[in-house]
Amino acid sequence: MSAALPRAIEPVELPEWLRAALSQPVTASLAPTGVQTLACEQILSWGLPTARDEEWRWTNLRPIARLSATSTIDNTASPKTPATDLTAFVPNAWVIRCNGGQLQPLPQNLPAGITITPLTEASEADCAAAFAPRAQGRNDALVALNTALAGDGFVLDIAAHADIQAPILIDWHDTPHEANHSHTRLLIRLGAHSKATLIEATPSSCSNTPLSTYWRNAVSVIEQGANSQLNHINLGLGDYQRLLTDRSFVHLERDARYRSIHIQLGGQLTRHEIDVNISAPGAHCDLLGLMMPRGKQVMDTHTRITHGAPHTTSNEHYLIIADDAGRGIFKGRILVAQDAQKIEAYQNSRNLLLSNTAEIDTKPELEIYADDVKCSHGATIGRLDDEAIYYLQSRGISAANARKLLVTGFAQEIIDALPYPELIAHLSELIGAGA
Amino acid sequence: MSEQHEIEALVSRDYQYGFVTDIEQEIIPPGLNEDVVRLISAKKNEPEFLLQWRLDAYRHWLTMTPPTWAHVHYPPIDYQALSYYAAPKSASEQAEIDANRPKSLDEVDPKLLEMYEKLGIPLHERAALAGVAVDAVFDSVSVTTTFREKLAEVGVIFCSFSEAVHSHPELIKQYLGSVVPPGDNYYAALNSAVFSDGSFVFIPKGVRCPMELSTYFRINALNTGQFERTLIVAEEGAHVSYLEGCTAPQRDENQLHAAVVELVALDDATIKYSTVQNWYPGDEFGKGGIYNFVTKRGDARGNRSKITWTQVEAGSAITWKYPSCILRGDDSVGEFYSVAVSNNYQQVDSGTKMIHLGKRTRSTIVSKSISAGRSQNAYRGLVHIAKGADDARNYTQCDALLIGDRNGAHTFPYIESKNSSAQIEHEATTTKVSDDQIFYLKSRGITEENATNMIVNGFCKEVFNELPMEFAVEAQALLAVSLEGSVG
Repeated sequence: MSAALPRAIEPVELPEWLRAALSQPVTASLAPTGVQTLACEQILSWGLPTARDEEWRWTNLRPIARLSATSTIDNTASPKTPATDLTAFVPNAWVIRCNGGQLQPLPQNLPAGITITPLTEASEADCAAAFAPRAQGRNDALVALNTALAGDGFVLDIAAHADIQAPILIDWHDTPHEANHSHTRLLIRLGAHSKATLIEATPSSCSNTPLSTYWRNAVSVIEQGANSQLNHINLGLGDYQRLLTDRSFVHLERDARYRSIHIQLGGQLTRHEIDVNISAPGAHCDLLGLMMPRGKQVMDTHTRITHGAPHTTSNEHYLIIADDAGRGIFKGRILVAQDAQKIEAYQNSRNLLLSNTAEIDTKPELEIYADDVKCSHGATIGRLDDEAIYYLQSRGISAANARKLLVTGFAQEIIDALPYPELIAHLSELIGAGA
Repeated sequence: MSEQHEIEALVSRDYQYGFVTDIEQEIIPPGLNEDVVRLISAKKNEPEFLLQWRLDAYRHWLTMTPPTWAHVHYPPIDYQALSYYAAPKSASEQAEIDANRPKSLDEVDPKLLEMYEKLGIPLHERAALAGVAVDAVFDSVSVTTTFREKLAEVGVIFCSFSEAVHSHPELIKQYLGSVVPPGDNYYAALNSAVFSDGSFVFIPKGVRCPMELSTYFRINALNTGQFERTLIVAEEGAHVSYLEGCTAPQRDENQLHAAVVELVALDDATIKYSTVQNWYPGDEFGKGGIYNFVTKRGDARGNRSKITWTQVEAGSAITWKYPSCILRGDDSVGEFYSVAVSNNYQQVDSGTKMIHLGKRTRSTIVSKSISAGRSQNAYRGLVHIAKGADDARNYTQCDALLIGDRNGAHTFPYIESKNSSAQIEHEATTTKVSDDQIFYLKSRGITEENATNMIVNGFCKEVFNELPMEFAVEAQALLAVSLEGSVG
């Protein structure tokens, strides 16, 4: 689209420290040598994406280029507010802690059916699977960077027929660490007919020290066998200053169900990407999300659902509540391949813009090559209803409280989908406090 | 079985407007450089400022690259292989001596008139019966203009662009490129450098144009790019409805068409621009057809101004077209109603841009796309709410209908909001013609072909209702012809 309004475009060069990291012989990378070398060459020639790149039209990666060479996390300062411990809200979770990309000792006595293997100890075949071509994206610079520099990660296997009741909680616990960036890679495999809940929290229990100099770039590969079910919950809570980019590649076999709930309340710059490849009939995915950019936060979600087989369904529902000078970005694509008939796909992007300095950009896309489909999307951007505020005020509720109530109510649609009442209450409180 | 034969007969039917009129043409040899730009300008006796403007545009064009973001695929175009100027011989002689221009239809080349007959444009008859003034453009130079005097009575200027350059240079100087700057995009820059002719409409303050203005385009010469330039200016309180329709003869070589249309609406002015586009779409194997890369933009500059785009897109091998509105004035209104039909190997990437700058600006987008055969049909639209656009309002509806399982229907809406009091709604659906509906109609004795036509017409009704009456009839017929053979 010819730019009717000029858009400032400055090329984002690879920062020196990143160039240095890439030029060194990377012994830390876990990717198979050939794959790693290629990724290294790719990222060096591509650089970081700019606004010229359609996928990065609204999100500027300059904060990454501006990071200083080493982390300046002050690990001696004591937290100003007590750290949030998510385990209080998620009962009976199996907690896996990751610090700055380094896997902490694994929990003992894992129930039968769960196997966790650090990538450093994983078999060659598993490593190859974690860096398989279908988990590389298409000309994706950040994934290539992850491949080139992946320093840690693990393989999580859920055995066939295992029904894991207690959630597995991965705590991205980025406290003191020397490097200013980390690149983790996860391979999550669910055997046929298995069930599990995976919660990723960033950071749930770390200090409130400003982490303005820290960037985590994660890639997850999720492979679900026939009739398996995965609840994937992603919580980005405290910590205003972090830069976070992550991308999940989900592959669904016959009748598999994948459900993602992503809630982003913190982070200076966050980019959350999910690619779901529905490859066999009967499979279904639900993607739900809520982003609340405030201050100068930039929060971006990109989803791509590919219906590659007939008789598959998907449902997407994303909310953005932008306040102050925050920016919220949503881009969702539903692709229905040729001959993938009898598809039902719904996509809903609803947004609340609370301030004139905030901005919301949304781009729900449909790309359809089959004819017997029911696909639709809706997108709205609006404000709080004046009449609703007036109504509440006329009942003796202050304007500020009325606003709080309405914003929380708006967010509730997504929050309520979480399976933990304590967590719902906690999040409602956080959202109300922010509104 | 007989139904099968009938359908096959329809499928194999050739494009009925495909023929070449044998008229001597004056063509500049293929290729593009500064000399060609100067030559075009000289042929048209253009004033110095326009030549300079063209050259600036040409120099800017050299620095640009063709856009690649659209959802269309075609081999790279060799711009040096195209010829950039063609004029019917008799007319170009007259261009040198302006006084010798044809005064009436009798003076026009009879072969030309014959061609218009074949196309079903009985000029005088249509003009008399429908009260439409037709500024028929044959390739690049205007040949005949009717009802000029009648319009002149109320002060409306409706003439060819090259004529306006001589008769109203001050208006051209003031408004040309003020909506679509020469460097706006690759094709607009190319057009600005080499544009041949087009229409110019000026409605003075407070005047309601007494009739609907209409231009028929026709691409005729082999290997000639057609670079139309249309400029419509409606002064304070003025009102105009402009119709544009086109057909083109059959060709194997792809033809490039890069037009620019600029609309300017001042305070309280209304401009309604309707298009029925039926250029040669290529044969059933995707060979040939027109490349239609058009920049159309309206500037609702004044307060309470209104710009409406209505289009029925049925032709062209590739369509790349985004009629847009810049809602600059407070309380200005932008509307976009579109039906895009694609069949065989046609590719469409079309939509609109609504840029809300003024307070309380409102825009409505209704886009209906129908893809059949092996075509690809994409809606691409932008709704941008700027920081100062308090209480702006947008409503967008994009529906896609699929006929057959080898085509694609796509929706790429860009929605950007920077104002918290703005309200934006977007919805889109993609479905096929429902089997239940077809079954119901068939059980009432209606053939499948007719049933589909009925359903498709109903699907497009919202847009057809926005078209001027005579256009709506033409559009419905066009839709039926375009989709012939795609059912069954």
